[in-house]
Amino acid sequence: MIQRIMAFAYRDWLFARRNIFSVVEMLFWPIVGMLSIGLMGNFLKLTRDQQAFILTGAIALGTLQVTQLDVAYALLHDIWSKSVKHTFLTPTGVVEYLIGPWLIGIVRGTVVFSLLSGFSMYGFRFYLPGVVPTLVLLSGLFLTALLMGGLVSILVLQYGQKAEISAWTFAYLFILVAGIYYPATQLPSFFYHVALLIPLTYFLDYFRTFYGTSAHLSDPLLKGYGLLAVTIIGMFIGLKMSLSRARRTGVLLRLSE
Amino acid sequence: MWAVSAKEVRKTYPNGVKALQGVSLDVQKGEIFGVLGPNGAGKTTFLNIIATLLIPDAGGDVEILGQSVLRQPKAARHRMNLCSGNANFAWSLTIRENLRFYAMLYGLKNPQRERKIDELISVFSLGSYADRRFDEVSTGTKQRMALAKSMINDPELLLLDEPTVGMDPDISLKVRHHILDYQKQTGCTVLVTTHYMPEAQMLCGRVAFVRDGQILALGTPAELQTKLNAKDMEGVFLELAK
Repeated sequence: MIQRIMAFAYRDWLFARRNIFSVVEMLFWPIVGMLSIGLMGNFLKLTRDQQAFILTGAIALGTLQVTQLDVAYALLHDIWSKSVKHTFLTPTGVVEYLIGPWLIGIVRGTVVFSLLSGFSMYGFRFYLPGVVPTLVLLSGLFLTALLMGGLVSILVLQYGQKAEISAWTFAYLFILVAGIYYPATQLPSFFYHVALLIPLTYFLDYFRTFYGTSAHLSDPLLKGYGLLAVTIIGMFIGLKMSLSRARRTGVLLRLSE
Repeated sequence: MWAVSAKEVRKTYPNGVKALQGVSLDVQKGEIFGVLGPNGAGKTTFLNIIATLLIPDAGGDVEILGQSVLRQPKAARHRMNLCSGNANFAWSLTIRENLRFYAMLYGLKNPQRERKIDELISVFSLGSYADRRFDEVSTGTKQRMALAKSMINDPELLLLDEPTVGMDPDISLKVRHHILDYQKQTGCTVLVTTHYMPEAQMLCGRVAFVRDGQILALGTPAELQTKLNAKDMEGVFLELAK
């Protein structure tokens, strides 16, 4: 299993190294997002804590998007190179299929987080509340990225290539509902209840308590990690079932054509 | 124990197409067995079921070296490999990197892994192209890489789906020689689909002729020629494809 995880990590690393778009994904859009939010905060003369609160949303979005793309790319790269059948001809399981690229995603996500935090500290008086809260937020972001990348793969296996657009939209939808620049309590009632089902809501809320503003959700880490455990296990089961369905219907072979 | 034992294999696609209608077949260990037939006969569907890429309809099953593709697919995957025509692999990876990736997926560790990759690169004359990207090499080189990949785990069962389709005659001939040499060296079982009869004649000890998802004839090329009063396998094909 370790060999197969390393195989997918190795392939993803080579893809990332040779693809100019992976540099754009890592630098261009996250930095554009962070700069626009930081400059807006300056214009509105926000306090340092308020500025840090909204910059957290921009930094989290950039980190989440880059990490989850690596996970979603596992299947998408196979489809684009029409090699899906050769991958699933091997004794590969769904866990190693996602975990390998996720490890590279964590590396890329950490780089994005560090760059955005560094620029924000330099340009917009941003500060991190400490090592433990930062690591907790990062773990929440990385595990959510694994969940989202897996969900993209399920959709692609269910609905074919037309579902690949979800790879570029899921992060925005998730974080919009989880409270990108606002506490989840600011959401309309229906969306607030949806937000309570998204693990990331709890991690953002926990992290932002250090900036003095949050939705004050009770036991955020217990609920955040608990929800992640349940949803990630559910995602792997769903992915396994989707793969089995794709083998039954012939979708797996069609994705290789 | 058979290398491949298929019992009443049926496959109906969601669009209603009945690709296989009760195929039963036994392939001996160490033989090169051909599945022949016109386009759309069900050859590739049959091969894909054996390769665990497609699940057959309820009721049928295939055993590979005693392991069911339905109940023990993972164990079966360790023991076989597939090469199909129109080779497609990750474009931005080199030939060597692609081989390394698949070697890792089959659990090969260093130094055995790199030794195996070097050996296959040498056997398939890929040395000059080993460090070139997959999308930069010719169709013939891609196909030789596909064959090299299919042997990376030393499969006991090698599945070849139209292995020389779209190739120049001289390259096709080289590929067939590679297949024969490999089979002779390793004693593995080879199951090959083709609708190119000289290929079947050159490679296969026994063949099954498939049409409309059913086996119409089974035997050695010589037996089929005698039975159908045909002077070669082209004649057999024309007679059975009627």
